[in-house]
Parts: sequence; C-alpha cells; structure tokens
Amino acid sequence: MTNTAQNTIQRRAVIIAAFKKELIQRLNLPYTAEDLHEDVSLLGAGLGLDSLDALEIVLCAENCFGVKIPDENVAVLRSINTIIDFIIEEQDRKGSAK
Amino acid sequence: MTSYLRTAWEAAGAVFEERYGTEVVSGFSNPANECSFVRNSVGLTDFSFAQMYRIPEETAVDFLDSFLAGNVARTRFGRVLHTFLPDDDGNVVADCYVANNDQDFILICESIVGTGEVDRILDSYGAKEAGVERWTNHRVLLSLDGFDAWRVVRDVFGQDVLGLPYLSVEVYPFEGESVLLFRAGKTSEFGYLLMAPNAVADALYGKLHAAVKTAGGGLCGVEVHNALRLEGRFFNIHKEGVQVRDPLVLGLQWMIDFDKAGGFRGSSAILSRRAAGLTRKIIGVSAAADCEAFRSGAEIFHDGRPVANVVADCHSFVLDRKLGLAVFPVELAYSGLNFTVVAADGPPVRTISMPPILPKSLSVKLAEM
Repeated sequence: MTNTAQNTIQRRAVIIAAFKKELIQRLNLPYTAEDLHEDVSLLGAGLGLDSLDALEIVLCAENCFGVKIPDENVAVLRSINTIIDFIIEEQDRKGSAK
Repeated sequence: MTSYLRTAWEAAGAVFEERYGTEVVSGFSNPANECSFVRNSVGLTDFSFAQMYRIPEETAVDFLDSFLAGNVARTRFGRVLHTFLPDDDGNVVADCYVANNDQDFILICESIVGTGEVDRILDSYGAKEAGVERWTNHRVLLSLDGFDAWRVVRDVFGQDVLGLPYLSVEVYPFEGESVLLFRAGKTSEFGYLLMAPNAVADALYGKLHAAVKTAGGGLCGVEVHNALRLEGRFFNIHKEGVQVRDPLVLGLQWMIDFDKAGGFRGSSAILSRRAAGLTRKIIGVSAAADCEAFRSGAEIFHDGRPVANVVADCHSFVLDRKLGLAVFPVELAYSGLNFTVVAADGPPVRTISMPPILPKSLSVKLAEM
C-alpha cells in the first residue's frame, strides 16, 4: 500500500471515530460506532434524524473539528461520509490558507 | 402471477421480466428517459409485485415483532417503519415497510423469495391466529417518484398530502374506495406509494398516468430503480441484498432493534456476528463510464491481489459514470482510495462517499408550498 493511501485511511479513520463517538453521545443513539455505517442516510431515511438532530450534527462538526457547516448546505448532511468529506476539505482549505 | 394492471402497462409499451415467480414491468425503450423522468419531473412505476398484508391492530404488534428486525411496537400511529425480514440464520429475505394505520397495520415486502414462501413464513409465525389478510392479489401498489411527484399527489388527493413527513401513511377516498398513500420511496427524490383495491386500480392508474404526463413525466420500469436506488444509496434487496444477504455487512444496522425483548427471527445469529465484529463491509465504488469490466461479480485488486468484489453496479445517468457497491475488508473500506478492477493492471476504480448525487428534491421545502 502506498504512503498516500495509508495516510488517507489513517486520517479518515481518526475523524470518523471521533465524529461517531460524539454523534452517538449527543443524540443518544442506541448503536455502537461499528453499527453506524458511514454511508447510512442521516436525515429522513436511514437513521431518520429530524431538524433538531441536524443542528446537533452541525454543532458536533464545529465543536470537534472547528468546521462550520453553513445553514444552507444541508447536502453535506446526507451521510457521515459526506460530512467527513466536508470536514477534510475545510481542514485542507484552512491548512493551505495559512 | 401477473400485475392486475398488466394490460394497461403492455398497451403503454412495457417490457416484462420475472422476479421470483412474479411478472414485473422491467422497463420501456429508453432507460435514460425513465431516469430523467424521476430526476427532473415524475415517474410512475408498478410495484404490485411486492407482497402486501393487512394485520388487525389488536394482534399486529406481537405478530410482526416476532419476526421483523425493527421495533414495530415503537412505530407511532400514522408512521411507517423501514426494516427487514431475516431468515433463521439472520440473513435478509425481504425489505419491508410496516405502516401503523390506526385500525390496522400494513406490511409491504420486497422479497428475494416467491410470494408463496413469504406467506409460509408468516404462517409459521401465526398469521392465521393473528387474523392476517393476504392482500397481494387484491391490491395494486403504484409508485410515484420524482422532483415533481408531490405536485401529482397534491392534484389528485389534495393539498394536505404535502404535510405528510417521510415514512408516514394516510388514507384517501378514491372512487368510493380507500387508497393508502405512503410517503416513502427509495430514489432520494420525493416518493409516494399508492396501495389501491383492484376494483379501482385501472381508474387510479389512468388518473395518475394522465397527471404524470401533464407534469412532463412518464412511465418507468423496475430496472431503472436499480440505478436510482444506487445513486441515492438506498438498500436494494434485488441487487446487493441478494448477493450479500448479511445485514451487518450490508450496513443495515439502523433497521435492527438489537435490544428487542424476545428477539426476532434470526436475531441470535445476528447478535453473534455483531459481537464477533465486522470483518467486511459494503462501500461505494465508481469507474469511468466506458469501463465494461466494472460489473457485479468483478474482483477489485490492491497491491497485486484481489481484495473485494463488486456486488451491485449501474450506469449513473446523473454522473455519467459507472457506479457500484463492493464488499471490502474493513481495513480498506474507506472512501477516497484507488484500486483496479478485474486484474492488478486492470482499469482504475475508486472508493467513494455515498450518496454521490445531489437530488433536486433537496432544494424543495414542501411545508412552504
């Protein structure tokens, strides 16, 4: 495996683990971190979270990773993976801006 | 077995196929058009191949909770539970909706066994004693899906339809009969399932078809729903479901109540596998539109050896790329990695985050209509 692939996996795994832990705690979900597939739909279908839960998810991303999800960007909240993509993009953007 | 509406679909140019002993509308001449109907306006599809049952309220919760993976007892009045029916080994047999409709509960199953087998499973859990009515041959199930689907149901059933939340059920009068309307769907656009007695099936089909045409939409077959479900990352029992079967590998934990008192069919096997931990999981993969090698069954290679298998595939008309699902070892099951398909030096594939599309329906707020 290339170093790039290893780095991609390690970075993503760390963010996913932290995000899931916070999400389960904040929303009191009856699942373990392993139960939460990263592609499962968060709002409506899948986990069936509501608009209040969506606010918690936004706060979760902000508190854990310092990343603000704009109110109008509900598309980011489609799944855990789409949120993780957004967090990584924002971290990279902030990193390159320094 | 054929749909009660076969003559109407045949007259419209439908091509048919068989699914587990039941004839279904496979599609029409142009799948890109059918996809466009749903993504840009509205498509009408016959889902009457699904198994349908009515269970009286007094017996429904105990009966359904004895074999379904989800928690029916916690399903509030007017709401729909999305769960599955496992076999004794805890593998998926049917993708199910359960609607709490006050006086009764309605069970809709998309199964990978025939209707007779689903009937037998329900019988073995006491269907007769629970007063279950088999509706499969007495009802049609029509699906309206698309960016403009809400306009069609509003025009046919009235403005209050727009207040229905996702996964809810309501009864509407139609031509002297009761039609059950489920706000559901697995395309990521607006979706409604309409269950009607055969007596008004032709009239309902005619009215919906006319309204769909007026809205600029058209008729769809079930084949295009394979692509629509994959683009929206909805579980598809007819593709990845039949290939993989294990709900934990499929990522269906959200459909399971692991703490349900008394368990459910196959729950011991599922709980054992959960305790042992996942070793494989299903994730999204994508390849170039002209990658013919990218298809269900193909092996995915990493460091010169096969590490995963494609279990579902389609051409995404929205992305103009091949889209699929593959089962990877958990240590490699991450978005954003590059692999090859068929051989170590085969065409490139990339793992992706799902769902990969932005449905137009996300831009519509029905509450403000």
